[in-house]
This record gives sequence, structure tokens and C-alpha cells, in this order.
Amino acid sequence: MTTLTASLPARAAPPARLRRLADDVGMSVILSAWLAVLITLVDGRAEELYQQLVYAICIGVVGMLVLDSVRLSFWDDPVRRRRLMLPFLALLVVSAPPIHYAGCLLGSLLLGLDGPLLPAYPNRIQVQMMLLTLLGLSATFLLVANRERMQRIQAERGEARARAEAVERQALQAQLRLLQAQIEPHMLFNTLANLQGLIAIDPARATTMLDQLIQYLRATLGATRAETVALAEEFSAIEAYLGLMTVRMGARLAYRCRLPEALRRARVPAMLLQPLVENAVLHGLEPKVEGGEVRVEASVRDGRLEILVADTGLGLDSLGPKGNGIGIATTRERLRALYGEHATLELVPAAPQGTLARLTLPLAAA
Amino acid sequence: MNCRTLIAEDEPILAATLARTLHGLWPGLEIVASAPNGIVAVEQALALRPDVLFLDIRMPGRTGLEAAEELLERWIGEQPFPELVFVTAYDDYAVQAFERAALDYVLKPVNAARLERTVERLQARLRERLAGRQADGLERLAGQMRALLLPPAPAVQQQPPLAVIRAAVGNLVRMIRLSDVVYFQASDKYVTVATGEGEALIRLSLKDLLPQLDAGRFCQVSRSSIVNLDHVASASRDPMGKLVLNLHGRQDRLKVSPLFAHLFRQM
Repeated sequence: MTTLTASLPARAAPPARLRRLADDVGMSVILSAWLAVLITLVDGRAEELYQQLVYAICIGVVGMLVLDSVRLSFWDDPVRRRRLMLPFLALLVVSAPPIHYAGCLLGSLLLGLDGPLLPAYPNRIQVQMMLLTLLGLSATFLLVANRERMQRIQAERGEARARAEAVERQALQAQLRLLQAQIEPHMLFNTLANLQGLIAIDPARATTMLDQLIQYLRATLGATRAETVALAEEFSAIEAYLGLMTVRMGARLAYRCRLPEALRRARVPAMLLQPLVENAVLHGLEPKVEGGEVRVEASVRDGRLEILVADTGLGLDSLGPKGNGIGIATTRERLRALYGEHATLELVPAAPQGTLARLTLPLAAA
Repeated sequence: MNCRTLIAEDEPILAATLARTLHGLWPGLEIVASAPNGIVAVEQALALRPDVLFLDIRMPGRTGLEAAEELLERWIGEQPFPELVFVTAYDDYAVQAFERAALDYVLKPVNAARLERTVERLQARLRERLAGRQADGLERLAGQMRALLLPPAPAVQQQPPLAVIRAAVGNLVRMIRLSDVVYFQASDKYVTVATGEGEALIRLSLKDLLPQLDAGRFCQVSRSSIVNLDHVASASRDPMGKLVLNLHGRQDRLKVSPLFAHLFRQM
């Protein structure tokens, strides 16, 4: 039953942790560089800009690597995130001095300068720098948190949109199915009139006809509920319809249905074939004085299900602008909604006369 | 009371059922033929001259309405035009239209009580006819069919009228001014454009052509022809009693369907 239902898109997976860590470190590099420029401007010692940049970026990268790893490993759960805000802030305060020291050490290694000496550490300037480190890290985390919130909102919005689209698609399909499962009042009343006549003339045939009508109605009305049916069911509904029409049209209508054993259980959208067969009879054969034959055949071609509905009726020319246009358009729309580009319906003139509808679908087993 | 009737119905069981039911209601009724399509119905009606004609609406060949229209055009002679009863399956719109036009109809599945009323009405009409108190059935029916088939002319012309007709004559396309066109006559797949100088063909149905013509000047006079009123000299009856139009600039004459005869009656 679910083979045709477009499944809801899976919840967008959160980006891998390493990837997020790299993004966050990238952000801290930008912010650290910005801080280094600021410090240089305040100091007024332009010649130290390069050094400041190296130190600041080292401090930022080290801090971010340590703290963001901790955050992503332990505090990424959206429920716990809020509750653990204060402990994280505390961690930020406590870890700012060691991070500053480690960053300076790394920076001096990179610059080939003497590293800070632990006994002489910290002096007043360095305490200022530690505070600056704390501020920088806090600012980075605020930016990161903000960015993550935006991403979450976007993901949720995308998910809601996808869900709405899926619901819309299902509603459209239901509507199209309903459209195809409509019983033409003219057909129903004419059939009843025949039944009324047969009851008096030939009660045994009347019983057979009533059976066929019941089967036709069951298939047609049932189709408004079920999404797919076995091909065998669709064929027996078609045979019931053609049986009814043969009683009505007498010798003017002949029909042949051929369904290979192997395809009996193939699933097809409910009421997909019926309108094509009804078109063949209503527009092809019923208006034709001599009548003719309908042929319905299913086969597998290139791994796909091919169903032919051929009639020897008046042909496409006589259809005019209206007529089966709506039926065919609805069928095509349904196919597009269900299978995209993977299903086709073409209508071509049949040789030597009449119309051939060729339906190609992906082959779906039960 | 004796009556000869023809049933035109493409579904054999329905034809048999209608015949049976009618027999039960009207023993004096003789069913002279049962036509399986609209074309046969017209031919048989012309050959057998029934008093009553039951016409199914949806039939192959001709619909019941087309058959009635054709019969109106082709009915000749002294014998009165048959009484018509249309038979239709569920079709709300058509039923209302029949009632507006006061045309008799029965619905399928046929309800015996409803059919009995129709039979009584038919018997009354035929009695009047025998007593000679009935106006010409054909005229009356033409009026009713006109009410059913011809929608009131739209107040505003939907498309600007054509100025010239581009018609194929051999290899070249002749441009024919509409004022030169005497009439349009539909044949199988083409429409013949008749002028004072000769004829040309266009591949366009009368139904598509009509809305493109100046409604004040061109008018349909039968199922298959549209005439330019500027070129009509006079209207007269041919020896068969059919109305024909004599035209300026042409030797041939144009038949007018009883449906459109009112357009050429004296003022």
C-alpha cells in the first residue's frame, strides 16, 4: 500500500561533529585576527601587528579546539544545552588563563621567540590579555550559538515545507483518483434501463448483468479508497465493464483482454486503466455505426510494465477538442504525480483504424 | 386507435423493452421498424412514414436531435410529419431544454406511468390530426426544434468579423472579399465558398466559421449552408413545397430548412 506513497524526507541529519568543530575554529580565527588588529590600534605599535596576529590566532584556535570539543561532546543535546549554560560559562572563566598561556607558548614557538616563563606569569598586562581572551572566546561562542540557532530554524522550516508538500501531493493524488473513479450518470442509467428490460425478457442474463454491475461499482467506488490494486483486479473490473457494455451494445462490441499469469500480482494505481477503456468504448466504438473491438493487453517490455488499450473505433480525429481530453489529462497528471518521468501515456492512431493508448509504468510487484 | 411507429434506439434490449412497454399501453400501436442508429432512422422514417417516431438522443451516426433536424429538411409530400418523442438517459440539461421547447421526451429507465402519459398525449394529437384540427405538424415542430437547438444570438459579437476568406483554388490561395461571397455550403470535409464567379474550398467547419461572420449579414439557412443576405433576391417554394432562395449573380438555388423558414416569411 505504501509503495506509491512518497515517504516524508528523513529529518535533516546534523552535520558531522568534526565539520562543525572546523567551522567554529574558522570563526574564532576571524574573531582573533580582528581582536589583534584592535589591540595593535590601541597600542599604536604597528610593527607588532604580525606578532599580535600570530599570538591572537594561536590563543583563539587553542581555546576553541579545547572548549568547542568539550561543548560538542557533552553539551550538544538540545535539552541539556540550556541547563548547562552556567557550568559552561564557569568553565570558560576557569580555562581562560591556561588557554592564554598555551596559546602564547604555541605562538612563540611559531615565531621563534622565547616563550612566556611560567614563574614570571602572570603580570598585569597578561591578566588584561587573559580577560581579553575570555571576552573573545565568549563572543565566539555567542556567534556560534547564534549561527547554530539559525541553522536549526532553517532546517525546521525546510522540514515543515517538505511535510506540507508531501501532504499536498497526497491530496492531489486522492483528488485525481476520485476524478478518475467517477461514474458517468449516463452510463449508470442506461445500464439500469437495460437491466430493467432484461428482467422481463431474460432473467438469467439479467442476473449475470447485475453481477457485472456490482463488480464494476465495487471496483470503481473502492478505488476512491485504495491507492493501488493488483493488475488482476483491475482487469476483472475492466472485464465487468466491457461485459456490461456488450450486453448494451449487442453485436456492435467485441473485446479481448490478455493478462499474462506472471503479471497478475503486479501493482498498479487503482482506476488507472478503466478510464482508458471507457474512452475506447465511449468515444471510439459507441458513436461508430458498425461498432468494433477493444483489446486490452499487459506485457513486460524492457523491464517495465506496458499496457495497451486498442480500439477499432472512430480514431483520434473524431475526438475533437473535448471528449476524452479530460480523462487523458487526468491520467497523465496522476502518472506524473506518482512516478515523475518514469511513466508515460501515449495516444496514437491504431492501424488500420481506431486509437491505441500505450501506458508504460515501472514494474512493481506486490 | 391505430398508429404506426418507428423506434430509433441503438441498444437492442432498450429498443425491445420500449416496444414491449408500448404494446402493453397501446394495443393498436404497430411498430413498423426499429432503427439501430440515427442514419438508418432517417432513411426508414422517410421510407415508412410513421405516425410517431421515438428517437434516442445518444445514437451512433446521428444523434436523435440531428436525425430530427435532417428529417425536417428532407420531409416532403402530403403526409403529416411524425410526432416526435425523444428518449434520453439521465441528462439534466437536455431534459430542461426539452421542457422549454415543449418537446415530448421520456427518460431511461422508462417509467411505465410516465410513458402512459406520453401515450395519452400522442393519442390526443393523432385524433386532432385526423379531425384536421391540427396545424401543420412540421411547422410546429420546426418552431419547437428552433427553440431547442438555436441559442439566442449573442448580443455582442464575440470575435471581430472576418474581412476576407482565404480559399484554396488549385495551387494558389484566392482572397475573397466577404461581400462577394454568396453562400457557404458544407460538404464532407470542406466548405464550398460560392461567389458570382465560381467556387472555392476552405477547410473549416460551418460551426467554426459562423461565429467569425458578420451576424447581421450572414445567416444559417440549413444544417449545411450559410447565406449572404445581400445576395438573396427572393424566396419561393419549389415543386415539392420546399422553401428555396433565389440568388443574385448565381443560377443555383439554396434550400432553406424548415428550422430557418421563419427568416424568409413575408413581413
